[in-house]
Amino acid sequence: MENKLKMHKIGELTPLLGLSADTLRYYEKIGLLTHINRTNSGVRIYSDKDISRLKFIQRAQKMNFSLAEIKDLLKMREDPQHARKEIRELTHHKLSEIESLLNDLTTLRNELKLLVNLCAGSKEDGCPIIEGIEEK
Amino acid sequence: MTPKRSNIEIFAAPGCNKCSKAKKRVEKVLLEMNVAEHFAVREVNIVEELDYAVSLGVLTTPSIAINGELVYAALPAESVLHKILASHLNGK
Repeated sequence: MENKLKMHKIGELTPLLGLSADTLRYYEKIGLLTHINRTNSGVRIYSDKDISRLKFIQRAQKMNFSLAEIKDLLKMREDPQHARKEIRELTHHKLSEIESLLNDLTTLRNELKLLVNLCAGSKEDGCPIIEGIEEK
Repeated sequence: MTPKRSNIEIFAAPGCNKCSKAKKRVEKVLLEMNVAEHFAVREVNIVEELDYAVSLGVLTTPSIAINGELVYAALPAESVLHKILASHLNGK
């Protein structure tokens, strides 16, 4: 049976995730990445599960979660049913933050969509909004 | 007792030809249906009331709302307007 488990060396992750080898080693040092496999010669190799974890870390960082918070959320991710109460509460809190941000982003998206549609609709007569700005 | 009028809002952009057609069309259909007294018509300048337009889900102009609910997004044909207004009056 073909082994479909794909493992990646550290150098392959940079083009894949945009993370440097130094960053990956640092994440391991501070415990964000754990149980990283190595080859017989000691070279780190990363599984799809490790990549999934790294993508989670990247998404959380984009939301300005601290590394300490991310570490706790990763514990929740690994074993949600046995996570400590404080970690469950942190997860709830972060979820509320994300939902609030999503609402703001949705409103902003709708505003910009409307503005883009206004100009597209006025092609034959020019864009009144852009012309208004240019006249000022 | 004066019956309460429904509010028709036509969301329009400055310099938008279709938007001015929308308002004229609405007024014409209201007269044809002889129901003008049941409606108050207001043209909403999208640029000045952007937050309000977005809150109703307006994504293009012209768009038409009745009592704060978006009912049509585009320039409606007169026949479509007839149906929308008749449906609203029947549902009251």
